[in-house]
Amino acid sequence: MTMSTEMESYITTLRLHLAPLTLSEREEIVMEIVAHVRDSAEQSGATIESVLARLGPAEALADQYRDGLLIRRASRSFSPIVLLRATMRLATKSIAWVFVFFLSVFGYAFGAGLVIIAFAKMIIPSHAGAWVQDGRLVDFGAFVSGIPSSAHEVLGLWMIPLGLTAGSLTLLVTTFLIRKSLRVSRLVQSRL
Amino acid sequence: MPKLRLTLGLKGTELEQPDRWEAQLRKGAVEMAALASLWQGRLYGLEIIRYLETHSQMALAEGTIYPVLSRLKTEGLLTSEWVEAEAGHPRKYYSLTGAGRERLGGMATAWTSFAQGLSRLLEPVLNEKENAK
Repeated sequence: MTMSTEMESYITTLRLHLAPLTLSEREEIVMEIVAHVRDSAEQSGATIESVLARLGPAEALADQYRDGLLIRRASRSFSPIVLLRATMRLATKSIAWVFVFFLSVFGYAFGAGLVIIAFAKMIIPSHAGAWVQDGRLVDFGAFVSGIPSSAHEVLGLWMIPLGLTAGSLTLLVTTFLIRKSLRVSRLVQSRL
Repeated sequence: MPKLRLTLGLKGTELEQPDRWEAQLRKGAVEMAALASLWQGRLYGLEIIRYLETHSQMALAEGTIYPVLSRLKTEGLLTSEWVEAEAGHPRKYYSLTGAGRERLGGMATAWTSFAQGLSRLLEPVLNEKENAK
């Protein structure tokens, strides 16, 4: 069956904006919308254009699907990318989520940083760790150089288990907090 | 309470704009209405829209219902199947799952008691309006 030009361009836009969804999710939506437009036009005798107009802009329609799916998928996911993407999307809708987003970025960065320092300590022990001078922390990190000779390292090889534990814990807590926030506000957010 | 506003994503102007308030109210009822339309058997999207129009005067923007159905399906309240129709293209039929029937039952009870309570509350307002006529 042939599609009108208006319909084709509507479907193209819809597909484009549904890109973050999986292929099967996307094609199922497209099939349903195509069926709707045909049925609606046939049953009411309206033109394809007027049925499309009643459906609203393809971008807006895609957004309604996308937000819901993005959030639901994220609330079941452990992937930082999936979680951050949902958080970022929600941050465009509410100030509270802007806060959650920045906290998440910080949590992931800090946790990953600690793990990296722990690994660096295994490979290049003299350039990773924490150095203190006169009771002040002068350097803390991996791949550090130019540490003053008067500073002394505090953790030594303890950096490895401590960095791994604290880093993993930070990553876990961050993940848990995002998922918790998503679940708590899921009902509300799904109505956006 | 500013914190509550943030979490709900409500704007302060909402109460000052009756149309928006009504739109929000409708939006909140859409899920229940979609579930209720399927109480007696499976329907496809356009049938659900028509059903709601004839049975509840609930005129929805046509694009609204499909994302809602997709969400209810992911929540396990609905199932769907593609059925080949004489129209020449398949149609996606939705039906309630056991969980969906149960949820709708709960929603119906909550809604009814809520509406009754509010009606009592609004009685004096409506009476006064009636007398003023």
